[in-house]
Parts: sequence; C-alpha cells; structure tokens
Amino acid sequence: MNPETHIVNYPWYFVGMYFYISGVSAGAYFIGSIIELYGGGKRSEISRIAFSLALPLILLAPILLIIDLGRPERFWHLFFYTKEGIPYINLQSPMSVGSWGLMVYSAFCLLSFLNTLAANGRLEFAPFAKLYNRLPRKTYAVIGMLASLFVAGYPGVLLNVTAWPLWESTAPLLGPLFIASAGSTGAAAIVLVMARRKMASRDAFVHLEKFDRVSMIIELLIIGAVIVVAGQYAAPILRGFYGVMFWGGTVIMGILIPLGLYWYSSRSNTDRSQLVMLTAILVLFGGALLRISLMQAG
Amino acid sequence: MAKGMFVDTSICTGCKACQVACKEWNGLEGEPTHFQQTPGAPYPVAFNFTGNSYDNTGALSAMDWRHVRFIEQFNRNRSEARWLFSSDSCKHCNDAGCLNACPTGAIIHTDMGNVVVQDDVCIGCKSCVPSCPFGVIAMSEKTGTVHKCTLCDDRIHNGLGTACAKACPTGSIRFGDVPELKTIADARLAKLKALGETKANIYGYTEAGGLNVFYLFMDRPTVYGQPEHPIVPQQRLPLSTAATVLGAVALGVVGLISFRERGNKKKEDVTK
Repeated sequence: MNPETHIVNYPWYFVGMYFYISGVSAGAYFIGSIIELYGGGKRSEISRIAFSLALPLILLAPILLIIDLGRPERFWHLFFYTKEGIPYINLQSPMSVGSWGLMVYSAFCLLSFLNTLAANGRLEFAPFAKLYNRLPRKTYAVIGMLASLFVAGYPGVLLNVTAWPLWESTAPLLGPLFIASAGSTGAAAIVLVMARRKMASRDAFVHLEKFDRVSMIIELLIIGAVIVVAGQYAAPILRGFYGVMFWGGTVIMGILIPLGLYWYSSRSNTDRSQLVMLTAILVLFGGALLRISLMQAG
Repeated sequence: MAKGMFVDTSICTGCKACQVACKEWNGLEGEPTHFQQTPGAPYPVAFNFTGNSYDNTGALSAMDWRHVRFIEQFNRNRSEARWLFSSDSCKHCNDAGCLNACPTGAIIHTDMGNVVVQDDVCIGCKSCVPSCPFGVIAMSEKTGTVHKCTLCDDRIHNGLGTACAKACPTGSIRFGDVPELKTIADARLAKLKALGETKANIYGYTEAGGLNVFYLFMDRPTVYGQPEHPIVPQQRLPLSTAATVLGAVALGVVGLISFRERGNKKKEDVTK
C-alpha cells in the first residue's frame, strides 16, 4: 500500500507465540468460567482442567513479551510513566490497554487456579477459601470470562490499527478471528488433557467437542471474510511460504481435518482417545500457525 | 505556535546537504557498509546501499532521519529522462500514529507541535513502527529503542531553525511557523500552475490529520514514494473494537449453548 514503508522483517515470533499461548489460556479459561456459570455439576471436571491449564500458560506470556522488548529491563514503563511518576494507560494503544487487561486476567487465572487446588484438597490454606468465598462464585466466573475474552481478542485489534498492508486491510476482522481461534484451541487443549486421562468417553466430553466444532466453523467463516475484505493485500498469506503455512497449516491441518476427524470419531464406538488426541493436537498446531503466518507475512 | 517545514521539491537539486547536516547535528552514525560476494561481480559489493541509484540509503531508518529520494525515470533507450528529488523526513503529524500507539508515553508532542521520542522512556516494543502511515519511525538494534527526526527539538527550542533547512542551498527546505509556510506554499503552487505544471500539488495539508512538514510535489505522491491517502491507523480502532466485542458475544453465545445440559436437566432437578 505504501512503497515508502521501509519494511523491516522483524522476527515477530515471540509476539506471535504470545498471541497464541495467551489465546489458548483465555479460551480454556472462558470454557471453565462458562461451566462455573452453569453451576458446575457433573462437568466441573472440565472447569478444573481449564483453570489448571490457564494459569501455567499465561505465566509464559510476560516472559515471551519481555524477551521481545528492545529494553527488557524497562518493561514496567508499560504501567508507570517515569517522567511524572504516575500509573500510565493510553486508551488509544491496544498494547497499553492490553498490558493492563493481561494483568487483570492473570489475577483471575491465579484465583481460579488456587480455588481449583483448594477444591481438590491440594491447597490447605483456610484463609484463602474464606476470602475467596466472600464474593458469590459466579462473580469470578463473569469477570474472569470478560477478561479472558479481552485477552483473546485484543491482539487482533492491535494488528488492525497499524498501517502495514496485511494487518490494515484485514480490519476489523482479526479480533473476531483471534477470539474464534482462542475458543477452538482452548477447547482442544482441554480435550487433549481429558483424552490423555482416558476421560474421552464421558458425557461432558460431548459438550466440549461440540463447542470446538462450532468455533472452528466460525473461524473458517471469518477466514473467508478476511480474504474477501483484504483483497489484493491478502496475497502474502495466500501465496509463497506463508501461503503454505496458512492454507496447509491453519486451514487444512488445523480446521478442516480436525472437523472431519471429530465427525468420524463421533460415529465410531471404539475407544476414541487416540483419535481425539490427534485431533486436538492438530487444532493446537493450526492455531499457532495462524498467528505466526499472520504476523510474519504482515 | 506549531513549527514545521515546507519542502519544495521543485527546487531541490539532490545535493544531500540536508542529509549531512542532519547526521552532523544529531550525531547520527553512518550506515555501516556491509560487503558480500555477489554472483556476477568478482569483487565484494556493498549490499545495503542501493547501488543502482544516486539515492544512497533508499529509505529512512533509525540512523537516517533525512533521506533524499531520487526518482530516476528513463525510457528504454534513455532518450527521455526525468529526475525528481524529494528530501523526506518525519512529517510531525498533528494526529501521529506512532504517538497514539505508544504504550509507555515515550512519544510526545512538544509545545511546538513536533513529535519526539523520549529515549529514556522507550522500551523498544516496536508497536509504533507499523503504526506510522509513512514508515518513518524505526527501531535501532544498538540502543534497543526507536528513533526518528525530532524537528531538531534542541535547536528550535533555542530559537534556531532545523539543521537541514539551515544547510539547504536552494531554499527547498524551509523552517518556520506552519501558517506562514502555508502562505508561501500556496503562492509557489499558484506560480507553478501558471507556468503549466498542472500536476503540481501540495501534500500534507489534510493527509493523515494534517502534517506539520508538508511538501510540494511535481507529480502524484506515489511517484515520490508517499502513500496517496495516508490514514491515521487509530481511526480503525472504534470499528475494530466493536467487531471484536461482537465476536466475543458470539463466542459467549456458542459457549452458553454448547455447555447447556440438555435432557439431563430434569434428572438433576430430581436428585436435588
């Protein structure tokens, strides 16, 4: 779009991986909080797995983000304006708002994680349960769910409000795309853990699969819309190396084959653990390649 | 009062005095020369210079805050030729994409309207780099922070003009108060039009919310390597946010429907 733009091909891998890992964490947390909203019941094993996944994953986020900085030791400037000595937020900057949002989300991840430990009897610390239970449990679910959706979606907004052709021309669809991908990869992460623990035959599993399927179909529709909206500027992700990554990795391996496998495995009555595990791994890879191809081709 | 520059490309001779003055005043290092063996040449070739043009750096960078762009247009047998020059720098936008994108408050507007990076605040997150509609601001691997033209912040706050304008031997780069510069620019444009230069145009009055450094071009902006319709990227923020909220609501609905306990509801109620 702009011949003057001196395109320096930054390795955005750290940021791309952050977008991916925070998406998986947020997707898993989102599912956990939805089940909490419904009062848990028989499916609370899903939310327990979700919350045990969300925290360790999001703990990787600051590491990836800080490594990427030119001056890592100054990362705290994101929250504090040194010239005036005041906390800082720039509402026009998705990165600024995102940093604060990530902090809020991480706090909820920690609370839910500790609560899961306490519920499992692995955390024997009475004051925590007492404090935690001061608020109705659904409060955590609602606020945590909103925070998780924010963390899943803001990277798309961040890319859309730049001036680089691919990221600019895909506006305003990258936010919804990342949210859909977070949903499906988050579900896949939970599926993977459940399948490994041979829990794939449970009723609860059906819900998870259904959610994963629907989010993948939504993701597919948004990808179609992205290509239409971006027009000629979508070329970097449609052709060449990143084209292979995008079509082959994200669309075929990460969405179409998993959809087929879910459909196939739902019709067979044999032990599905292996097949379901493979499906989940493919979805997770596809999600990673979606972020990497979009970032590097930008 | 907003200070700025008017760059009249019609009288630029491509001497690069502005590039040199900028480097000297701001203490900017030269672009290091990297040589490498190239197929077809028996000697090592400097690959990070253009090599096929009098244009030496090819673009602005963290070290090159001024860049004289050479537009060398020849037909096949070189019987016809046109040489255009345009001295380019940061445009010091009124609504600056880099400033809007900065998450740390490192990029500021001073009282004179110039956009400055505070090096001791910058964390090197690079989010300003893709947010400039003109590809001006750039990251330095050496300092780990971003750099660009400051409109000679130290000079202009001490009653001097910019170093590039001072060095310009033809008056192609003028420094001054923006309204005054606009009067000069309008007069010059009218004169050129009267001389039959119908394609002459002024770039920067309305582009990207108005630029404090604006140009008189003899052809379309794209010929000079500038975007025809630059947009401050943050203008897409409301719509992108709205779409993302919509996406979040959609996923919420999918989640609520997928995890609803169908059929089992009655049984559970009984057990309760």
